[in-house]
Amino acid sequence: MNLKDCHNFEDFRKLAKKKLPSPIFHYIDGGSDDETTLRRNTESFSDCDLVPNILASVGKPDLSTTLFGKKIEMPIFLSPAAMQRLYHHEGDLASARAAEKFGIFYSMSSVGNDTIEEVSEISKGPKLFQLYVHKDRSISDDLIDRSRNSGFDAMCLTVDTLVAGNREKDHRTGFTTPPKLTLQSLMSFAMRPQWVFNYLTTKKFELANIKNKTDKGTNIAQSVIDYINEQYDPAMSWKDAEYCVKKWNGPFALKGVMSVEDAKKAIDIGCTAIIISNHGGRQLDGSRSPFDQIQAIREAVGDKLEIILDGGVRRGTHVLKAIAAGATACSFGKMFLFSLAAGGQQGVEHLLQNMHDEINRNMVLMGCKNLKELNSSKLIYRK
Amino acid sequence: MNLKDCHNYSDFRKLAKKKLPSPIFHYIDGAADDEITYQRNTSAFDDVDLVPNVLRGVENVDLSTTIFGKKLDLPFYLAPTALQKLFHYDGERAVGKAAQKFNTMFGVSALATVSVEEIASLIDTPKMFQFYFHKDRGLNDAVMERVKAAKFDVMALTVDTITGGNRERDLRTGFTSPPKLTLSSLFSFATKPMWGINYLTRGKFELPHLQDHVGEGTSTATSVGNYFSTMLDQSMNWKDAENLCSKWGGHFALKGIMSVDDAKRAVDIGCTGIMVSNHGGRQLDGSRAPFDQLAEIVDAVGDKLDVICEGGIHRGTHMLKALSLGAKACSGGRLYLYALAAAGQAGVERAVNQYRLELERDMKLMGCNKISELNRNNLRFRRT
Repeated sequence: MNLKDCHNFEDFRKLAKKKLPSPIFHYIDGGSDDETTLRRNTESFSDCDLVPNILASVGKPDLSTTLFGKKIEMPIFLSPAAMQRLYHHEGDLASARAAEKFGIFYSMSSVGNDTIEEVSEISKGPKLFQLYVHKDRSISDDLIDRSRNSGFDAMCLTVDTLVAGNREKDHRTGFTTPPKLTLQSLMSFAMRPQWVFNYLTTKKFELANIKNKTDKGTNIAQSVIDYINEQYDPAMSWKDAEYCVKKWNGPFALKGVMSVEDAKKAIDIGCTAIIISNHGGRQLDGSRSPFDQIQAIREAVGDKLEIILDGGVRRGTHVLKAIAAGATACSFGKMFLFSLAAGGQQGVEHLLQNMHDEINRNMVLMGCKNLKELNSSKLIYRK
Repeated sequence: MNLKDCHNYSDFRKLAKKKLPSPIFHYIDGAADDEITYQRNTSAFDDVDLVPNVLRGVENVDLSTTIFGKKLDLPFYLAPTALQKLFHYDGERAVGKAAQKFNTMFGVSALATVSVEEIASLIDTPKMFQFYFHKDRGLNDAVMERVKAAKFDVMALTVDTITGGNRERDLRTGFTSPPKLTLSSLFSFATKPMWGINYLTRGKFELPHLQDHVGEGTSTATSVGNYFSTMLDQSMNWKDAENLCSKWGGHFALKGIMSVDDAKRAVDIGCTGIMVSNHGGRQLDGSRAPFDQLAEIVDAVGDKLDVICEGGIHRGTHMLKALSLGAKACSGGRLYLYALAAAGQAGVERAVNQYRLELERDMKLMGCNKISELNRNNLRFRRT
């Protein structure tokens, strides 16, 4: 199996599974507790159906939209994801280049393995930085300043990770970063010599953006769960979020909003967008899926916020349904990480091409010339 | 596989399966008829989703709740279950001590294998006694007096076992108590020698609350279903329950209430709590799941007595959902029995601690600092 056999999510997932040592594959693939929310995120799209209009003389549909003040070529982008060098030795540089090529946002995680400056060096495309509020506030301040100086276009603050979710697959596989070899995991690393070779012979694994501020996650093998619980501030409040909005002073999103009440508060503190997300089912299991919740939030906030739906998106039709239900755009993490693991930059480009083709084809089949024509009248929920 | 590999309910279940002779494992694991209610008890939680609130500042989470006038450090407790020495030689001693360690309530069954006096001397945290209404009124009175003398805090009358449920796994495995060896079960006992050695050498198996009154359950091998059907008084009615309630004169609960009407009558006869329960799916198969029925009951009587949701709980998030609907606390039997079978007191402590950590983490992720902040705004039911 190789990249050209990858036609959909499941194919990329399979290829990633072949290429990655199992603790690393399962770190991407797993959710929290019983993974009910992880499954529901995708299943929820099946509770409603698309209703096409025919003979609409569509021609070539316009897939572009505006997000965070930037024109993007299609209504999807790459979610911020931590530690991409674990999945492919080119890490963030590969995903940033692929995103630029397709004219969509690339997002950088606070816990990336490349620096803000390195990425802005290699990509002129639209860029989003994802912020965690650390107990040491000077870390967050520093990240905001550097993102601005490096020409990032937008900032998002993750608010659903005050404490790490219970990712039981990681307990079992013994996932730590940097990877530590245990007897259990040794076999799975030994069977993927290519991954090990690349990992060891390319740039050193480090949490590049914060390495001067903390040695956590760089020298010491530590699980992500411990990192979150030690470094992030569970006392983070609306005041802290407002402080970040003001300090950034540009397009700003809260990532991980699920309740209508919180969406309204996001407007009050000056956010321009929210990302409806349950962190890909990796945090609170039993949490509502973004697609189940999006209509209520769109109704409540009107056009005062851009809304990004993050979680469970695997198909062009999922994107269409999300937009019809009120999303401005969709983002996805797992799907692009599998493609990154499967083939680096080329893998991500292959995925984005697939998604572009699916969205384009489905717009034609729906009889829609542009994304504005995709509204709630195109959806019928099953009873 | 050992205790440190147990991260959740199903891990404990697996380890218990390894440790227990199969008739005993299936006695815990099984339920009535086709086990439809048993499965629904858990899957009911999947029909509703949690909606968290963010940026609430949740450094310190308080999980305490007050039921039956007692403050517990956790919003769940260990429900009364029968015959615990069959599962681990320390039986109720192990479970009681684990409950005390986390300051939550421990329920002692009328079919317990350790006496209320011994439990009372072992732990000073809140205790509940679970009462069966026997045909023999002398037995009923004697048990009531002993529990009172042992200063238990709550009396719970079980009202859903008027006859034994059809537990077909027990029919197949030949489960009796004390265990009787049949040809088919011999093999499974023989392959778990540690269980056999402990069972035979760690003190006699007996039912201390009943042994002076009945032969059943002590030296004569009988099935639990048979015990319910022959020993318990099927004519038990609301008058009997009311008499017991006033005879007890303290916090009194009915265990196994499912209808709104019955919940209201429980208030009328002076109960201070009810357990919404179908006996873990072990009695009437096809019965509604406690979580499905909870909202109606809370709406009707939630301000008049403590409503406890019992059955199907495997996770901290399940508890959060029940508490959000208005339950005062949750409880469960299998919740800790697999852990007891897996490793005695250490097993129960590990299980209770995991639920505690799950609750604490999930409360933070929900944006809640204390249990009373959970309410129905946190929940959205899916389109049906």
